[in-house]
Amino acid sequence: MTTPLLQLTKVSKHFGGVRALHEVDMAVHAGEVVALVGDNGAGKSTLVKIVSGVESPDGGEIRVRGEARRLESPRAAAEAGIRTVFQDLSLCDNLDAVQNLFLGQERYGPVWSGRRVRRHVMEEQAQRVLESLSVKLRALNTPVVALSGGQRQGIAIGRALISDPAVVILDEPTAALGVSQRGEVLDLIDRLREQGRAVVVISHDMKDVRRVADRIVVLRLGTKVAEFERGGYTPADLVGAMTGAHETNDEGGEQ
Amino acid sequence: MTTTKAATNATAPETGPTGPRGIGRAIETAARGHRSIPVLVVLAIIWAVFYSQSSAYLSFQNITNLTLQIVTTAILALGVVFVLIVGEIDLSSAVLSGVCAAVAAGLTVNHGLPLVVGIAAGVATGMVVTFVEAQIIMFGVPSLIVTLGGMVILQGLILVVLPPEFTISVAGTPFAKIASTAIPAGASYGLAAAGTLAYAGYRFFQHRERASTGSLTSLATVLVPAVVVAVVLFGGVFTLTQQRGLPMPLLILAVMLLIAWYATTQTRYGIHLYAVGGDREAAQRAGIPVRRMVLYSFLILGACAAIAGMVDSSRQLGVSVTSGAGPLMLNAIAAAVVGGTSLFGGRGSIWSALLGALVIGSISNGVQLLGLSTEVQYFATGSVLIIAVAVDVVLTRGSLLPGRRA
Repeated sequence: MTTPLLQLTKVSKHFGGVRALHEVDMAVHAGEVVALVGDNGAGKSTLVKIVSGVESPDGGEIRVRGEARRLESPRAAAEAGIRTVFQDLSLCDNLDAVQNLFLGQERYGPVWSGRRVRRHVMEEQAQRVLESLSVKLRALNTPVVALSGGQRQGIAIGRALISDPAVVILDEPTAALGVSQRGEVLDLIDRLREQGRAVVVISHDMKDVRRVADRIVVLRLGTKVAEFERGGYTPADLVGAMTGAHETNDEGGEQ
Repeated sequence: MTTTKAATNATAPETGPTGPRGIGRAIETAARGHRSIPVLVVLAIIWAVFYSQSSAYLSFQNITNLTLQIVTTAILALGVVFVLIVGEIDLSSAVLSGVCAAVAAGLTVNHGLPLVVGIAAGVATGMVVTFVEAQIIMFGVPSLIVTLGGMVILQGLILVVLPPEFTISVAGTPFAKIASTAIPAGASYGLAAAGTLAYAGYRFFQHRERASTGSLTSLATVLVPAVVVAVVLFGGVFTLTQQRGLPMPLLILAVMLLIAWYATTQTRYGIHLYAVGGDREAAQRAGIPVRRMVLYSFLILGACAAIAGMVDSSRQLGVSVTSGAGPLMLNAIAAAVVGGTSLFGGRGSIWSALLGALVIGSISNGVQLLGLSTEVQYFATGSVLIIAVAVDVVLTRGSLLPGRRA
């Protein structure tokens, strides 16, 4: 058994008196796509925020590549090798594809040059990252506002890959997309798996989850209530676990 | 990546022959500056209209006058552009320019300190004031209010800074030399040649860089812009040295534009500046220090305001309570916006300061030259402001139908 790239042990989080997460365990291995599902208020977003360094947990342990890490800030999470693609993509519409891919991680020259941007280096690397995701752009200097939803998602995922992270977290990557672009994005996720990364996908869409996930972790009211392997469940099992029709092992913690 | 990769890449089937694509790339690069095209058209129309009324309008002498008239507005507008790009606004910098000029002139003329000390004190004053304004803005008060209040406070401050007689005359002092110095024609051509060579050299360096990573590039990306720059620089020097050499204020403006161009288009700072203006939330998440970027913009504005104020008072041979008052503030903002800088942040280039100031200056210069009444100038300037922004909105949206504001 290999060490998981991302391992959460008994991670808990309270907001005031509200229990958002309670002793959640989760492991994601290299080349594995784990879907995180659950109803509204199940704790999915809280978990994403903790792993991406936006919130810090009250208890529990997070290991990246087997090493315990404290993810105090988004920067610390990125340094630990965890990159998150947020639902709103966080792209700057007025900047072009390359500038967005490298935003905050520009390749630049020495201070005496005024930190001159090494555009040619960035363009070359951008080309490689976008090729690895099979994202096709007419030109690298196209402002992202002119791109399709799928292409924008590609840029956002590409940005996550610039620092070659071990773990990529995708928050609702297909939520705002049409059918064909949805397929495009699911293909992107397959490619992340092929690259041997640990991928966590948060989604509402059960069809997408069944299509892309190797394993499904179901959260309900802040606790993990079920975990399904690919092919080891029926749609009814999934919905049952999410709504609590099968399980009754929680004591509330409404929010 | 070896250097041979460039050659193989150029002949690779999917990229096609390097010549036409290289030229295409050069044209595309030029077209990316398309925001300047509407304002250049507007400028051409204004010049054509006034020239048809009086051929003296486009005489060497009047063009030189015109450029000197717009220097103050253009320098101030340059600072305003930095603040607009980052998504803020400023109303206080014109009055601030008067305060800075009063400090600088007061120290050099009335207290006999060296000119350098006076200039340094003027710039420092501008940056301290905008530093304080930026702190209050980052505390959460809208920049419109902070700088509106700041404008009124500065109108009071200039009364404090000025001596009891409320004027400082700089005539005949070293301070007046800032504006009255002229660079002889020979040296000016030398500067134009140096500028052209430096620019072409920089372009060639970029071309080599791109070739080294196998990117598509060609010598057209060096030659086309270099020829354009040569024409502009040599044409400008030829026109402006017909009288008595290149006036110092124009050189100051040119150097400031050059530095601003490099900072905004070639550096990491520039990308972050536009990112903060485009989407603050996204910039923040990408780890860009948003507050610091806003602060930088205001500090740059403070320095620009100070330089604008000192150049202006040197040209007017004095500082008084009316320095920086009048239409200067609105002209500077209008110049930036006419030139294509968005009031909503994230869009616009530093050239909008120069081009917008030229448009506004060309109107008032023409009106005065033709002896038309002042109201014509106001009507024309106001209309051009609205038309220029309307054209920009249409171009941005790609349609004449009303819709979402850009």
